Amino acid sequence: MDELILELKKEIIEALNLEGMTPESIDENASLFGDGLGLDSIDALELIVLLERNYGIKLENANEGKEIFKSIRIMADYIKQHRTK
Amino acid sequence: MNDFSLRVSKNIYIKAISHISNQKPLSEEWFEEPIFYSQKYVRSIEPDYKEYFSLLESRRMGLILKRALVTAINVTRKSKIMNPDAIITGTGLGCIENTEKFLTALIKNDEEMLTPTHFMQSTHNTISSNIAINFKCHGYNSTYSHCGTSFDSALYDAFIQFQLGEIHSALVSGQDELTPDYFKLLKKIPYLKNVKVCGSEASVSFMLSDEENGENIAKISDVILLNKPEIKKMLGNLKCNLSEIDAIVVGNNGDVENDEIYNNFINIFDVHIPVIQYKQIFGESYSISGLGLYTAAEIIKKQKLPVINNYGGKINKVLKKVLFYNHYQNKNHCLILLEML
Repeated sequence: MDELILELKKEIIEALNLEGMTPESIDENASLFGDGLGLDSIDALELIVLLERNYGIKLENANEGKEIFKSIRIMADYIKQHRTK
Repeated sequence: MNDFSLRVSKNIYIKAISHISNQKPLSEEWFEEPIFYSQKYVRSIEPDYKEYFSLLESRRMGLILKRALVTAINVTRKSKIMNPDAIITGTGLGCIENTEKFLTALIKNDEEMLTPTHFMQSTHNTISSNIAINFKCHGYNSTYSHCGTSFDSALYDAFIQFQLGEIHSALVSGQDELTPDYFKLLKKIPYLKNVKVCGSEASVSFMLSDEENGENIAKISDVILLNKPEIKKMLGNLKCNLSEIDAIVVGNNGDVENDEIYNNFINIFDVHIPVIQYKQIFGESYSISGLGLYTAAEIIKKQKLPVINNYGGKINKVLKKVLFYNHYQNKNHCLILLEML
């Protein structure tokens, strides 16, 4: 699980161009949107694409994202259960 | 050809200029000590963007957007005009770097799973709109993409808007980035094929106003932009006699066909007139004419000639009127007359 969290952090930093951030500087339990990392709706779209491209997970319902993208740990947990690649 | 100069009644002033180019960014150092390049392709020297926006704010911006915004911020600060009536941008290639990223991903992912950011910021008018969003400007917003006369067209639009009384201030800029891949393509076509100066990038912002005060850099007395004109007739329509012009700024770049047009233009003037070939410093780019006008404005402000000139030695006359001339492949031609205040 820790390996997956680290991998996910690296992918998010690259996909969202979070220059100056390192995997260590991101708290996997912190909120991704709002007060935490401060991501927005465009980032949510980038994360949906990331899930599909890297893990073969296609979100059918946009509302699912609200739960899945609460934190990196929750995201990693979802990936672990649903990944197809 | 209409005698447009008869309709020119309002004075327009350049209040502030800021640039990011192959010279030291946001600095006038190039005027005295330019950096000369022997390479065929040189990218701009970047300022420290962290001084202008946080990493989170800038992470979606491509280089061209960062450069445009920083030069825009600088001219608003210098001029104290924080909310100009118009934002008008000239760009030949627009956000070409993001366009390349978007198209590469399109091919790589077999037209599926495309990410939104590069697509959203791949259009030409992203630049003007990004500036407007930053300054919360809800006024006139326009973009001109006409190859080597993109900046000239943007300035001409502003000039007309001022004359019509539609605006009292305008942020006019020329913005072009040049990626390594696009440079290779341009080297295969006439635009850059035989050019001897470096292929480069340009980001230059001007704050214009119709308010006269002591802080202005120069007055824009006339702008004429025409397709396939007779040059002598075009000069005849200018709002001054040719004998009154103290220096001319032209865009010779080492390409024989391009330079012939400029040389014919130079030959119309007195043989002793100072001639400044600004592309020897800034290189060639679709928006480089913005840096040509910047050169002309600095000559008036400093009352000196930059290092690149035909004059030799010190100039001992007042440089009241400087004429900037740009042409793109002998099709579109632009004259901009600047005057000392």
